[in-house]
Amino acid sequence: MSILFQGRATGATAVKQSLWNRFVMFWVHHIRQAMTSLGEIWLTPASSLLTVAVLGVSLTLPVTLHLMVKNLQQVSSSIDQAAQISLFLKADTNETQIAELIALLQANPEVADVQFIDKGQALAEFTAESGFGDAFSYIEDNPLPHVMLVSPKNTSSVAASALLETLKQERYVELAKLDIGWLERLDAIVSLVRQVAMAVALLLMVAVLLVVGNTIRLMILTKKDEIEVMKLVGATNSYIQRPFLYTGIWLGFFGGILTFLIEEVLLWWLKHAIAGVTQLYDSTFSLQPLSLAELGYLLLVAVGLGFIGSLLAVRRNISQIEATGL
Amino acid sequence: MLRFEQVTKSYSGGFVALDRVSFHLEKGEMAFLTGHSGAGKSTLLKLISLIERPTTGKVFINGVDLSRVNRGQVPYVRRDIGMIFQNHKLLMNHSVFDNVALPLVIEGFSGKDMTKRVHAALDKVGLLDKVRCLPHTLSGGEQQRVGIARAVVNRPPLLLADEPTGNLDPDLSKDIMNVFEAFNQVGVSVLIASHDLSLLARMRYRTLTLKNGRMINDGLTSYGADE
Repeated sequence: MSILFQGRATGATAVKQSLWNRFVMFWVHHIRQAMTSLGEIWLTPASSLLTVAVLGVSLTLPVTLHLMVKNLQQVSSSIDQAAQISLFLKADTNETQIAELIALLQANPEVADVQFIDKGQALAEFTAESGFGDAFSYIEDNPLPHVMLVSPKNTSSVAASALLETLKQERYVELAKLDIGWLERLDAIVSLVRQVAMAVALLLMVAVLLVVGNTIRLMILTKKDEIEVMKLVGATNSYIQRPFLYTGIWLGFFGGILTFLIEEVLLWWLKHAIAGVTQLYDSTFSLQPLSLAELGYLLLVAVGLGFIGSLLAVRRNISQIEATGL
Repeated sequence: MLRFEQVTKSYSGGFVALDRVSFHLEKGEMAFLTGHSGAGKSTLLKLISLIERPTTGKVFINGVDLSRVNRGQVPYVRRDIGMIFQNHKLLMNHSVFDNVALPLVIEGFSGKDMTKRVHAALDKVGLLDKVRCLPHTLSGGEQQRVGIARAVVNRPPLLLADEPTGNLDPDLSKDIMNVFEAFNQVGVSVLIASHDLSLLARMRYRTLTLKNGRMINDGLTSYGADE
């Protein structure tokens, strides 16, 4: 395109090329520029490494929080399945009454399973496990009540609470307890952690944008003379900014990879500690690492942040460098 | 080819760099622009290359009013003008080849076609053997010739040169001028700003003389007779 001289063939249009050829060349050009930017990062490893490190560490925190939420949710959902209602029977309940109650409960369509724990059996278990041992032999009467463990068919906390209310009305029941209070608390904590993770992620993303933007800004300033020359020989702003955009993308990409590596090391490090805790709770919990899809999202976000950060920097800085020339 | 119509350029603070300058450079013409430093030579060249815009008056290139060229079109205008700078404006950490190829790369050339043109341009300025060198390993005259090769590599119809022989000895200056003459002979319009009066006298081309921003002489130089 020549503005001054109609018909003066310039650039790629001067060389008669087919549409397909130009399409291929377009991509070849972009790939070449991407590789050139990669090469420049390679040539100035110190500053690039620092930026990548900042990116990696910044993104690690939100990713860690995300993994925490994911794993806590897994824990709470597995516990939810095991929700049980404990019915503590009145002290004077006799065997026929107990049998009557069991039959009644088993007939209830809401109830999946009933398990009876005799108070003598409960005391023996408690004596054996609590470590008080002989202390119990000084107590004349067994202070423990008979207990009935009822598993509801529908284990959602709402349905279980409804069942709890009906069971409380039973004649022989002294006290009925559904231990979902702490489950609700756990859910609340998980959602709090999720909110915190969101806030932290947002803040750190802004930080990443600023870091990338500043790195690119410094790169632009060190190449000020070169940019000026390019402007003098007719380079458009979009041509000049392209390598910087690729640099931003590469920085984001390597930042994302570094985040993934840090995360893997962190998980490996925490694995044993977590295994120790879960063993104590006798749970089948296993630590969920970052899935392939999540790694994809992480890289996408990191690359996106690198791109946007550099875009902000080039928009502000490249048009400001004017050819003073001559 | 290049026409100035009552062009005035004043800077903030009231300094008038150019005062109602008018002239016309024909297609295929070669002319010198001279005057003391501060007379407005650089300002005039900046108005042509759209580094600056006139305060009043109009500049035309090939009949196109430059005031109608918007910011986004400026790069495309510069591709039609070959510019040569006193301080060369080369990319010091790129090879001679890369420097000369730059305008072609910007325009989307690649491969064999680009190499052919770069070699042709370097051949014309006699630097084909330095194609792989870095600019700082070259002498001042050679660097200037790399700058000329870069300016002509995409065959612009108009060449502007700002003090192209600035720091060169007379023999080298003559060589550089011969290069310009050679381009002029194949139809390129050339405007050279220079205060090297003895050189102008020897060359005997049309000379535009600026003094305090005004065009005081537009014709063949008369300095030759004085010396």
